[in-house]
Amino acid sequence: MSDIKKTSSQNPDPHYWQSFEELYNSKEFIELNQNEFKEGVSENIDAGGMSALSRRKFLALLGASAAIAGTSCTDYRDKGEIVPYNKKPEEILPGRPNYYASTCMQCENACGILVRTREGRPIKLDGNLDHPVSKGKICAQGQASIMGLYDPDRLKNPKKKLDTRLIDINWKTADEEIYFELINSGGSEIAIITNKIVSPTTKEVLDQFIEIYPSAKVYSYEPINNEVRNSAWEKCYGDGEYPAIKWNEAKVILSLDSDFLGSSNNKIETARLYAEGRDVMNKNFSRLYTVEGNLSVTGMNSDYRFRLRPDLQMNFILALTSELNKRGAGISLDTFGMDLKNFADENALKLETIDHLVNDLISNKGKAILHAGDHLPEDVHVAINTINHALGNDVLYNNKYVMNSVQPLRTFEEIQLLTSRMKNGDVAVAIHINTNPVYDLPGDFGYTEALKSVGSAISFVEVENETSSVSNYVLPINNQLESWGDAKTRSGFYSMQQPVISPLYDTRQTESILLTWMDGDPAFYNDKVYHSFLIKNWEQKIYPSLNHKLDFNRFWNGALHDGIVITNEKGKGIGSFNVNVAQNIKTPNSVDGFSLQLKESYAVRDGRFANNGWLQELPHPVSKIVWDNYAAISPTSANELGLNSNDLIEVTNGNSSLKIPVMIQPGAADDTITIELGYGRTNGGTVGTGIGFNSFSLFTSKSGLTPFLYSGVNVKKNGGTYKLVTSQTIYAFNEGITKDLPEKRKIIQEGTVNQYSKDPSFIKHENHYSDLTVYPPIEYKGVKWGMAIDMNKCLGCGECVVACNVENNIPVVGKEQVDEGRDMHWLRVDRYYTGAPEEPKVSNQVLICQHCDNAPCENVCPVVATTHSPDGLNQMVYNRCVGTRYCSNNCPYKVRRFNYFNYRDYFKDGYQESPVFALLQNPEVTVRSRGVMEKCTFCVQRISDARAEATKENRELKGSDVKTACQEACGTNAIQFGDINNEKEEFHKYRNHELGYYVLEEINIKPNVTYIARLRNTHSEES
Amino acid sequence: MSTVDYSVEVPAVQGRLSLSEIEELVAKPLDSKPDKKFYIALGISTSVLGIGAICLLITFLNGVGMWGNNQPVSWGFPIVNFVFWVGIGHAGTLISAILFLLRQKWRTGIARFAEAMTIFAVMCAGIFPVIHTGRPWLAGYLMPYPNQHSLWVNFTSPLVWDVFAVSVYFTVSLVFWYTGLIPDFATLRDRTTSKIKKTIYSIFSLGWRHSTRHWQHYEKAYVILAGFATPLVLSVHTIVSFDFAVSIMPGWHTTIFPPYFVAGAIFSGFAMVVTVLIFVRKIFDLQNIITIDHLEKMNKVILATGMMVGYAYGMEFFIAWYSGVQFEQFVFINRAFGPYAWAYWIMVSCNVFIPQLFWFKKIRRSVPVMLIIVIFVNVGMWFERFVIVVTSLHRDYLPSSWGMYAPTLYDAGILLGSFGLFFTLVILFTKALPVVSISEVKAVADGAQPSHHGGEKHG
Repeated sequence: MSDIKKTSSQNPDPHYWQSFEELYNSKEFIELNQNEFKEGVSENIDAGGMSALSRRKFLALLGASAAIAGTSCTDYRDKGEIVPYNKKPEEILPGRPNYYASTCMQCENACGILVRTREGRPIKLDGNLDHPVSKGKICAQGQASIMGLYDPDRLKNPKKKLDTRLIDINWKTADEEIYFELINSGGSEIAIITNKIVSPTTKEVLDQFIEIYPSAKVYSYEPINNEVRNSAWEKCYGDGEYPAIKWNEAKVILSLDSDFLGSSNNKIETARLYAEGRDVMNKNFSRLYTVEGNLSVTGMNSDYRFRLRPDLQMNFILALTSELNKRGAGISLDTFGMDLKNFADENALKLETIDHLVNDLISNKGKAILHAGDHLPEDVHVAINTINHALGNDVLYNNKYVMNSVQPLRTFEEIQLLTSRMKNGDVAVAIHINTNPVYDLPGDFGYTEALKSVGSAISFVEVENETSSVSNYVLPINNQLESWGDAKTRSGFYSMQQPVISPLYDTRQTESILLTWMDGDPAFYNDKVYHSFLIKNWEQKIYPSLNHKLDFNRFWNGALHDGIVITNEKGKGIGSFNVNVAQNIKTPNSVDGFSLQLKESYAVRDGRFANNGWLQELPHPVSKIVWDNYAAISPTSANELGLNSNDLIEVTNGNSSLKIPVMIQPGAADDTITIELGYGRTNGGTVGTGIGFNSFSLFTSKSGLTPFLYSGVNVKKNGGTYKLVTSQTIYAFNEGITKDLPEKRKIIQEGTVNQYSKDPSFIKHENHYSDLTVYPPIEYKGVKWGMAIDMNKCLGCGECVVACNVENNIPVVGKEQVDEGRDMHWLRVDRYYTGAPEEPKVSNQVLICQHCDNAPCENVCPVVATTHSPDGLNQMVYNRCVGTRYCSNNCPYKVRRFNYFNYRDYFKDGYQESPVFALLQNPEVTVRSRGVMEKCTFCVQRISDARAEATKENRELKGSDVKTACQEACGTNAIQFGDINNEKEEFHKYRNHELGYYVLEEINIKPNVTYIARLRNTHSEES
Repeated sequence: MSTVDYSVEVPAVQGRLSLSEIEELVAKPLDSKPDKKFYIALGISTSVLGIGAICLLITFLNGVGMWGNNQPVSWGFPIVNFVFWVGIGHAGTLISAILFLLRQKWRTGIARFAEAMTIFAVMCAGIFPVIHTGRPWLAGYLMPYPNQHSLWVNFTSPLVWDVFAVSVYFTVSLVFWYTGLIPDFATLRDRTTSKIKKTIYSIFSLGWRHSTRHWQHYEKAYVILAGFATPLVLSVHTIVSFDFAVSIMPGWHTTIFPPYFVAGAIFSGFAMVVTVLIFVRKIFDLQNIITIDHLEKMNKVILATGMMVGYAYGMEFFIAWYSGVQFEQFVFINRAFGPYAWAYWIMVSCNVFIPQLFWFKKIRRSVPVMLIIVIFVNVGMWFERFVIVVTSLHRDYLPSSWGMYAPTLYDAGILLGSFGLFFTLVILFTKALPVVSISEVKAVADGAQPSHHGGEKHG
């Protein structure tokens, strides 16, 4: 201290000081201050004495050990090698779909299809626009058939029956053993039982097969067919088949129990042409009268509808004829003294409407068409042909693309002969090519029994069925998407089939199997056997007849590319009408008991689609019942028998009877039972087995008016109930407080053609709503998406539902879950009845997310999982969704769907979780997990795709660049989609159509799906 | 009928209990070991809770599809239960906060219990919004927290308001309850001889010394918290009602909902408090502290709120008719005469007709009759929520998407489980904490206040 004081003579320099040393600037302090580090801290670094590990190295080691620790301790499992394309295939671009033209071989119509493939796997089927008949449309079954390719039940290798069970064998053994059987058949018959053959080359294979095995015979049959109509046609016109009809040119259509819009076998073309004749844009309207026994899709769409038990159709047509003749129609038909007025009185047909019908037929000669259902007796068809001819309506028969069967079907009599030969032991080998006669032939044929006397029964199947289970050999065949082929259904063009994926399993194509057996050496087979045969057949037989300019190879590649070969073959014209044919018409019998009609299922057809969950879950277009068939009965008859819906009845037809639940069908004719075929499969795969009731058991070869129509059937209450499940629940018929709600609430807005022509904007007058809002309106610049649905064209068939399911990976939830009200369909077709239950008026409405501008779902979601996009879409963010379901509650359209379970493993067998099923999913659409809300996205994946494409091409995105899946699938083009803001687009006309309205417009949520009001073409006096 | 002397305040505590007797009475269950009856009761309630837990576990494993919810009825039992339990909670806060501010001395005997029930009821309620979601493991998304997605909650959604309302309500109720417990913890600490208990009570009593200064702070804090809690009585159920009122569903979209829900909540809450207190006062011999007068007063509240609820029922119908909106009219006709009419009439009978019996003083003061009535009210109020949730949804705008709702066994099990949880907590509470506020009751006991008469009654 004293030292410091000594040097304190200087003035203290800093005003602030921390120590006396600092204050008095002691020498040590200054020194210390100048050296930043204390002695020993920074000096004398001896590099040699330090660790050899440099700082860099230390950090490198640190990083490396962290990396090792991090990676070695994860539970990463090597999921196998992922090998990138070594050489990139020219046509595959990851993330981009490829389209291949092919042909749908699921039924005899052989529509042209475009197969969308992604990374080599087919994911969706759509129609081929170049196909002259189907014109870019395919049916619901065609859409759904993609599931068949990935069906986990598909047979994976050949099997042979040993004692009572099937054991796996290889193809070599199968080929050798069966070849042995074939060459040792020793003159006994080799029966080849197949569906209708539409492929000329398949026929060629079979012809050659017969050359080698002369005892072979081909039996092509369809359990549900239009043979009655065709044979009537043959009687009337000499030869040929019943032609296609130019429905679009018809002004008046009378359907006699013909469901030509719903399930007739040329439905795609028929529905499209019919809708062309109901075009609100051209103010062009045909008038449809229906006389039917049960409410069908056609009946729902008719302008006038009569109920009549189907076995009285003959009487009706004769009575009608007598009335037409009174007005000078000059129909040469013995009417057996029938009188229309009496007939109408007896059967409670409205006279006034009958009058309209007669007037219309008389005044629209040459512009009217009468059409009878496939299941009606031949006499009806003959009479119809006669009337059509007499009224000059035969100009509406299509001459251009004439029906042209490669090989006509065998009649039931011929099949019955086959079974009796089988029973006698005259058949050595029976080969079933993807057919199921054990299930779908009339029970009294005793086919199953007969098969036991056959030396060797062979079944070619994709999925085991009733017939394969009693066969000695079961051979797995390729799916249609793994097969080559061609098809000819009409004159004037061929349709080509090409595989889009190599066989998933050890399966072979039918024709290849036959070709191998023809050669005899199992080693003959390779996967190009049929391919080369097909090419050869075309090169040698078909190509020369075409006089094509291109050489064959180029022609062939072009044909495969287009999927269609147009020829200048002229269809054989329609022959001259044989006026005498009508004289053979027998006196109509009187009817008693119940009339029973068996119809093809709208969903599973004749049962061949029973294992397809999408189709099983497709609501019936009229009753909305899923996963079942039933006996439809009229309210009056049900009342008489004391029946409620779901009660079991026993239907007895001759010797056969069936227990089946009833469904009271508004609009069904009294004393008529209508049952759909195709259900009650006993060996129909995991999904299809045991679904519904097998009404083929009522199918008998005799005693019926036709195999599909019976009179004098006994119906009695059986006791007990069976639950039928509808997708549109509880609301069977509206009475009391629920009466006419769809009209009162302006959900369904309809009018008549007359009303429209008098006052084109009559709909608009009724819809005045103020759009007051406290929020400033949001402006949508650029593209804004909207949809318009023309209810004049919508038939309510449900094709759009299936297309949406396929496109958007919609799971199948099963009957119980639909019953719970948890179906997952993003798109549904609502059906409303109005008027009396006996004679209801039916309205259909396609309902999807309306993508409201003021979407009520959006503001209630607590986590912003549903939002609005700048292009007007109401979006769902699955990852963000917690699943409060508030959005669904607040949606007035109830179009949101919630994953109450992980529906892919909901079924006990985890059917939909099988790995092969994963290949079915559209990779552009998220597969939703349990607990997530979902709904229609307006196919946002397609919008994104189109936007990317437009960006690539450096242009603005246009509304017409995008087609939604439902729009593409709609057979009648009732669905339009596009840009609301673009006034130049076609869509603009629909969006702003004078008949356009919005459902629930008055709650001011500003939906973006315009409905164009349905107009019924009733007589002017009536409205 | 004898004339009532309204100039004399009915004593809040009967039987002229001395302060030490009060303390003894309340603390008795805490001093003694649980008896057999306690274990039986606990056993039953935990079993019921266990049933709920199993049902919930199965639901978690499989998905909420185990329940009856569907389209169109996307909300079912869980939301009904949620609203029901939140409603139950309201009585506690009303009694402890609003009646405190209104200087209603009779509240002291029942406030503690009612508050505890509030907390337990809100706990029961709080479970439901979480478990009812499709993916409960993501329920955290409902909380606004900063995250790298820059995702925020949707502040326009009433469900988010719910999250705030219920969590604030729970927090404030808990703090309020605990604050009230501090002097009692100190009393217990001073009484107990067990070392463990002493440690626990010492911690929770936060060093309370019964000093005047402590009391001064305490009273201030208590008033402030009562002030906080008071608006919550109104706000929570108002916001819960917004879950419905903010939507566009006919039958939900109603401006009367907030007051209607608050009245209903108090109604159901009081009914539940009465139900439980009837047993508590009997079992724990607290008839002098929770007197028949208290029960009668609560019954009067039940009568009043029941009529408010009845008014709301009527007014809903009137407005539906008066609005001229077809959808609204239909929903209400459908409610009263549609497929769920039975639920509607159970609701009206239990909530409007049966409580009218409380006009009679005899019935108001008869414990067995009162018990039956309040149980009816509990049932009725549960059905009220059921009617609101289910009947409005099952037949809404488009007849095509109408449906029916039927609960499954899992729904029932979880509802049962929530009662199990509630009563388990109540039973544990009776043995763990003083069911009556010792300090508050002491304060209102005869002779506790300085008076001209030296604690003597008016001559």
